[in-house]
Amino acid sequence: MNDWQRKSPLDWETYVNKMVKVAAIEKHEYEGWVLTVDPVSASIVLATFLENEKVSISVVLGHAVQEVEILKEGDDEMKQRLSCIFAPEESKAYSPEELEKRKNDLKTWLETNHIPVTEQGESGRTLCVAGVLTIDPPYGPEECSSSNEIILSRVQGLIQGYLEKQQ
Amino acid sequence: VTMPVPVPVQVLRLPRGPDGCSRGFSPTSPRFQALLGGSAAAQGVRAALRQRYLRGLAAARGRPTRFCLRAGVRVDAVFGAADVEAVAFQVDALRTPLGVQAAALLRCTDVLAYSFLL
Repeated sequence: MNDWQRKSPLDWETYVNKMVKVAAIEKHEYEGWVLTVDPVSASIVLATFLENEKVSISVVLGHAVQEVEILKEGDDEMKQRLSCIFAPEESKAYSPEELEKRKNDLKTWLETNHIPVTEQGESGRTLCVAGVLTIDPPYGPEECSSSNEIILSRVQGLIQGYLEKQQ
Repeated sequence: VTMPVPVPVQVLRLPRGPDGCSRGFSPTSPRFQALLGGSAAAQGVRAALRQRYLRGLAAARGRPTRFCLRAGVRVDAVFGAADVEAVAFQVDALRTPLGVQAAALLRCTDVLAYSFLL
């Protein structure tokens, strides 16, 4: 394990949203905006903006990193731009009232089917199912998150069926 | 009356997994150390960093990717998946000098960097 891999998450975080130059083994060099550092492998994810509106993503594996030099700090606009790169796509825009209704309808339906569900997060925007799965707005199968893939798959199927019946 | 001598239970030694540590993951890994508990702030940052990384992997899926391996070797493939412990990458349509492999695993220790376009 090298020095880079031994850093703490708080250290790695100081590189996020900064333009860096990464010196890797075998004399490779990479430059770009740091999107994140994977805490498991210490891999650095860099973004480079190309002329044709495309973004090039480079991931330098943690074990290959020799040195990371910060070149400049990203301003608020850049931070916003970087945070959107991997953000899940929002296909349809719902108004706050529509989202509240979708949430409440789904919550009621889950409760009717004896599935324990609570609200959490800021202003209760996230639904939490059985303490192991969360559903973010707009409360579709794609917005379900869980570390248990069996429960995830089951609940996604249930929600899919529920939404289809709604149409 | 004497107590019966307990019969020792046979220990079944399973073969070592590909990761080398048959306990599933290494107890000395930073991941396990983090599981034992560190500061809540560090764990929160760890989770946020990891989530962004996982979203990055999801974005890579299905995209043509260039992998920089050791000794200046570069190969092109379609990104398939990565495993939890960062042991290997699964790719499709790996272009090698011997032809195109429909599916392949690239060991993380062999990969220095990889890149794709969004």
